[in-house]
This record gives sequence, C-alpha cells and structure tokens, in this order.
Amino acid sequence: MTTLSTPSAPATPAPGAGPLVPGAALGSVAIGLLRRREVQLLVAIVGLFALCTALHPQFGVTSNIAFILADSVTIMIVATGQTIVVLGRGIDLSVSPVLGIAVIAIGFPAQDNNLNIWLALLLALIIGAGLGMGNGFLVSVVGIPPIIATLATLTIYGGWQFIICGGESVVSVPATYSNFGNANLLPVVPWLLVIGVGAVAAAYLFLTRTVTGRSIYAVGSNADAAFRAGIPVRRILFTTYVICGFLAGLAGFIYLCQIGSGTSTSGSDSNTNLMSIAAALIGGTTLLGGRGGPVGSALGAVFLSEALQAMISFRINELWDPAGVGVLILIAVVADRKGAPVRQLLRQPFRQPARAVQ
Amino acid sequence: MTFEPGEIHSVVGENGAGKSTLLKIMSGIYQPDSGELVLGQDHLSGLSPRSAQHRGIYLVPQEPALMQSLSVTENLFVGILRRGRLRFNVDWVSMKRQASAYLDRVGLDIDPEMRAEELSIAQQQLVECARALVHRCVVIYFDEPTSPLTGKEAGTLFEVMGSLRSQGYTLGFISHRLDEVLAISDRVTVLRDGAKVLNAPRGDFDRAVLVKAMIGRELATRERVRPHFDATGRKEMLVVEDLTSQPSFEGVGFNVREGEILGLAGLVGSGRTEVAETIFGLRATDRGLVRVDGRVLGHRSPRACIDAGLVYLPEDRGRHGIFAEVEVERNVTAGVIPRLDRVGPLIRPAAERLMATQATDRTAVRMASLDTLMKALSGGNQQRAMLSRWLLAEPRVAIFDEPTRGVDVGAKDDIYRLVAQLAEDGLACVFISSELNELTITCDRVLAMYEGHVVGELSGAEITDANLGALVVGAHVK
Repeated sequence: MTTLSTPSAPATPAPGAGPLVPGAALGSVAIGLLRRREVQLLVAIVGLFALCTALHPQFGVTSNIAFILADSVTIMIVATGQTIVVLGRGIDLSVSPVLGIAVIAIGFPAQDNNLNIWLALLLALIIGAGLGMGNGFLVSVVGIPPIIATLATLTIYGGWQFIICGGESVVSVPATYSNFGNANLLPVVPWLLVIGVGAVAAAYLFLTRTVTGRSIYAVGSNADAAFRAGIPVRRILFTTYVICGFLAGLAGFIYLCQIGSGTSTSGSDSNTNLMSIAAALIGGTTLLGGRGGPVGSALGAVFLSEALQAMISFRINELWDPAGVGVLILIAVVADRKGAPVRQLLRQPFRQPARAVQ
Repeated sequence: MTFEPGEIHSVVGENGAGKSTLLKIMSGIYQPDSGELVLGQDHLSGLSPRSAQHRGIYLVPQEPALMQSLSVTENLFVGILRRGRLRFNVDWVSMKRQASAYLDRVGLDIDPEMRAEELSIAQQQLVECARALVHRCVVIYFDEPTSPLTGKEAGTLFEVMGSLRSQGYTLGFISHRLDEVLAISDRVTVLRDGAKVLNAPRGDFDRAVLVKAMIGRELATRERVRPHFDATGRKEMLVVEDLTSQPSFEGVGFNVREGEILGLAGLVGSGRTEVAETIFGLRATDRGLVRVDGRVLGHRSPRACIDAGLVYLPEDRGRHGIFAEVEVERNVTAGVIPRLDRVGPLIRPAAERLMATQATDRTAVRMASLDTLMKALSGGNQQRAMLSRWLLAEPRVAIFDEPTRGVDVGAKDDIYRLVAQLAEDGLACVFISSELNELTITCDRVLAMYEGHVVGELSGAEITDANLGALVVGAHVK
C-alpha cells in the first residue's frame, strides 16, 4: 500500500528569505521602501518643497504650507472615492457634477435660510451617495461599461446642476461655514485636512480590513475568478460607486466651507474629474484595477496641490495648470513598475482570447 | 508524411499528441525545430502565416477567426482588396460579384453584404473556406473544424470538402470524432506523443486499428496512488440527476460518495467542464437537480455552492482562478473572506495570516513569503495555492477540473497524492482530466463523456487506459 502523506516540500530557502548580513538587510529594506509609490511620493513632495523654498524663500512660510494642504483636501477626498472605484476596475467621470450639486444644494439654503451646518453636511452626504447609486445602478445592474455610464451621468448631473441653479449663484455663506473652512488645528494643519486624513484613514481600513473592501481588490483584479470564489461581484461594484458619490458629496461640503460660493459650474470649472483621476494614478493606483490604495492617492493630491502652487511661484500662467497635471500623470504612469501596465494597456485591444491548446 | 492533391488526409491522436502543432508548423504559425517542408518542388523555410498564404497554404482554424463587424466580402478579400479605376478607391462592385461566386462554390447562399457576426458558426467556417479559395490557396488544412458544429452542419462542410477534393485541392483534416475520420479520409496518419505511429491509405484502417494506434502506449505502468475504495456504508455526498444544459450536454447523472474519487473522462468539448460549471451555478440549468449531502441546491451560484460545502477548482487557472496582482495570502483567503475572524467590522490580520499559513503548509506551496504576488509563483505552486483556498472553505465535495494542467511532472504527483489524502479524510472528489493515465491511477470510478452524454462507467480493475481511451472517442469497450 502506498503511504499517504501530505506532499512535503524540500526545505530549500526561497530566494530573499535567507539570513542576510545586517548592512545588506538595511539596504534591501530601504530599496523595498523606495519601491513603494507612497514613499516615492513623500520623497518627491519633500524634495519639491526644498527646491522651491531654496529658490523662493516665500514658498516655505507656514501660511503657504497650510494653504497647500488645505487646497489639496477637496481633491484628496474625491480621489479617495475615485481610487475605490478604480480598484474595482471602474472609473467615475461624474464626480465633478456630484460635487457641484452638493455644493449648490446646501449652498442655497445655507445662504438664504441659514441652514444648520451639520444638517448641511448630512444633506451633502445623502445627495452624493444618491447620485453614486445612479452610477452604480447603470454599471452593475444595467451592465453599461463604467466609462460610458459615468460619461452619460456627467452630462445628466451637470445639467441638473444648471437647472437647480436656475441662473442664480451662491455668493456668501453664514460665518459658521467659513469659520470652519478656515480654522486651523495647528499653524500648518487646517481642520479640513483632519477631515481629509480621517476620510483617507477610514478608506484605508475599509479597503484592507473589511469584507467588502477586500472583495473590491479581488473583483478589480479578476472579476471572473472573484465570482467563482463566491464574491457577489455586482453588489461590490455597486458599493464602490455609492462610496465614491458619498465622498464627492463630502468634498462638496468642504468646498462650500472653504470657497464660500457656488455656481452652476462648481466642480467642473476646477477640473475635479481630471484632478481626482490624476491623484489616483500619481498615487500608484492603476486603471487595470486591483492594485493601489487611498494613501497613495492622498499623497498624490498633496503633490498636485504643491506642484500647482510651485508653478505660481515660478510665475507660470495658470492657463498652463492642466498641461502640468497632464505631464505629471504621464510621468507617474510611465514610472509605474517600469511601465509594465502601460504595455499591458497598449496590448489590450489586440489581445487574443485565450483558447485551450489541443 | 506527404499530403497529395485530391486527397483528404486526416491526422488523429489523443490530446497533446501534436496534431494541432503539426498543422500550425505546416501553415507558418509555429517554426519547426528541425525538418523540412516541401511544396511541389520548393523547399519552404522561414514560413510565416502570410507567406504561407502567398504560397497557397491556408489553415481553417477550429473557431472561425473572421472580423466580426466587417462584411463577408471584406472578410474574403481582406489583404487583397481590389482597387477601382481611380487607383485609390475600392472596387466594391466587382468584389461583391466575385464574392458571390466564391460563396456559391462552398455552397453558401448568403448576401455577401452581411456582417460576419450575423452568420452562424457553421456559415463562418464555410466563409473561411471561401477565403482560402479567394486567396488562391490549393492546400487547405482544417483544424478540428467540426467541434463547434452540429452533425448536420458538419455534413455540409464535408460535402464542400468532397467537392474541393474532386477539384484537385490538397486537404488536411484534424478531428477527435473517429466516425468523421472514417467516413471522409483517403489517408490517415496517427500521432502519439508527438511521433507518427501509423500512416495508412483508405482500406488499410478501421476503427479498431486507429484506437489501438492512438492509445497503444505502455499500459498502466504506474501504480495507483491509493488502495481501492470500499463504498459500503459511505454516504452519498453529491448526487446529480438528469442534469441538462443545452447545447453542451444532456441527461447527465451520477453520484459521489464520501471519500470517493470519481473521474470524469472525455475529450475537450465533450461537456465535462460544462457539467462542472453547471453544477457550480456558472451556467444555466435546463433541467435536472443537484444534491449536496442530501440537500437539493435549487438556485445555484458559486456562493451558495461554497456555503453548501461544494467547491470547484477551475480548469483555466489564469482566467478563472488566481488574482495575479494580489498577494498569495489574499488569494488563499479569497473564498472565505466573510468567514474571516473579525473585531467588529475589521478583519484580524493575525488570524488571517495564521489561516493562510496553515492552508499553504498543508498543500506545501513553495514561495518566498505569503506577501509574494501570485503571478510570481510557478504553475504548480499557483495550483497548490488554489487548492489551499478551497481547503479553507472546508468543503465536503470538491470538483477538480484538470488540476494538473500547466504543472510540471513532479508537482503532478504531489497533486495526485494530495487529492488522495483529501479523499482519505472523507472528501468526495470529482476529478476531471484529459490525461487518461491520471484518471487510471487516482480514481475509484470513472465516467466517460462523449459529445455531451455519459457513454460509460468503469470501476475498479476495469479502469485502464485502453478502456478509457476507447470510451472517450465514442467506441465501445469490448
């Protein structure tokens, strides 16, 4: 009779797992860290700051740092939602008008009826989540490709924003809003940044430590395999769009507190779509799904804000801003793992369907 | 071997015998390591699909490869579009006229303006034939053209092949269906393990000769991986009754007992994988039912099956199994995410790590660490990781579909032993494979499928490579 035992592997140490000399270990840890996009971005953020401060000492003053950080919060929050959608191999092109609708939907009652600030926050979140449900429905229930579904809602929601405004604008908000929008916890830490970081931290925990969050990575990496592993793919996809809308609503609230005004083009005129996708891509999340995370995207948002501020101090006309963002996206994507995903994206249209070899 | 004009020359052999590879070399898709192709008087070297077509050699693939959104005319003339009088325009009028003439020659009565996607698979196959004629090819190979076709559609194709033969074309043909090969071949070559074992003209071969040549390797030299199974007193864990999913298979029924390994033998396209996918809720069920541990699974989905204790290891690991860009740990726990140990809503990483460690130890996955990306593992280790994923689900029934595909020889033995060990621990196993010897050495009972039906059952000492080999090609066991 054959003996039955679990097959045993020879005890050969896997490459890189063996004991190493301390110095080399430190070196390899450093290299490992430098391979992480988050660390690369931190280095880039600090490096750019040092460079700009050396050339223009005004760049390094506390108020400028606070401005850069506060300026990044809206995009940081929208980019967090965008990241969650992109991790599920989707994209949300409607975040601009979702943010915009939230801004004016709470802005008018705040201006005209002195709407309570907490009620305004709640309202913004509900509106955002509701509009996100629309996207989720189109993608996961109707089955429209995300880029087309959200392109359609981009114009639909954008149209609503116009209609709701009816030619009017929000020109001032009660002091409770603007005080909150400009308050600092520490000299360089605006309160809004605390909310932004809180949202990113919550998203991080959600993505890495909850059942739904973990399923998003699986669905984005290989939806077929995820379904076969028992993951409810459609429900997960739906959830990603709802969360993205919810966070865009939150960003709308913050926008109103910070800027203190709102129009029929709020959100769209500041290029929220492009900026949120840019922050996610610069942060190391790939459009192929399943790889990346909100921490990178948040740092991406800070880096973008810093870079745009740097362009101002170098007296580059702000008409060049979008071009600058575009160049940063290109650099980030090409740098991403030696461009492998780029090659994959390029190859994708020509990929042959896999077929069993006879 | 030689292909003569005016002859239909069939190449047959088991899966992996090298038939498709041979045809692909002869039509320039693969390059030969050594040897020579001679067309008429010309020695062909450095053949590419394009130069092969120039020389008059055309391969009709198993699945038609037409450009779906283009018209039939464009598909026929792509690469050699006729120019009009202005030299830069396309002469659609004359091309359409010619297209109709070519379609007539292959017995197709369709509007050449139709788009390829509007045609049935059978019609697309005939358009492929017509395309060979348009490109003035005189040597036409057919790589398993009939496997996506119904019997009647195949009949039409054979008529066209017959008429091409009488016009002096040189035809090569691959099929798994011996009936077809016997009916239309003027000459048959049998390949086995990549070598020619028989080359016979019409009259010198019959079904028995072909089956013997195809299978006749050293029979069952390898030892079984486990002793014979005693079914008495064992509970039926999986019962499948009259399961049907058209057009793939019909009326399939079987049961698997606790601790038993049931093999499902059959050629590619015989419906084995489709049966497994239907049981697992991945395909629509026309009729029939599935019972796991006595309970009927009504509305089946992967989640419902996993929760009922039934898991399915897919055939195509890359497409349906692994998350390539994700760490091994998360690949392993992906099937049981809702069952992970949690504090409030948050998964406890330490508990997850422990689970993943135990599961990967049990299947002996070799990797740098659990944080290694799945894509960095070899095929065998990926398969072991997939097995650990399903062990974590604590299944009572497991369907293993081609568990050793793309796995090296040593790892294969480990997988056999692992499956045997799991059965020994009480798991009811269904083992699907194209490799007959694999079934012979692991299974307690084997069902053979042929064209969507169960055509035979072997158990105990009846399970031999020869008996299985005969069943899977639709022959009867003596």
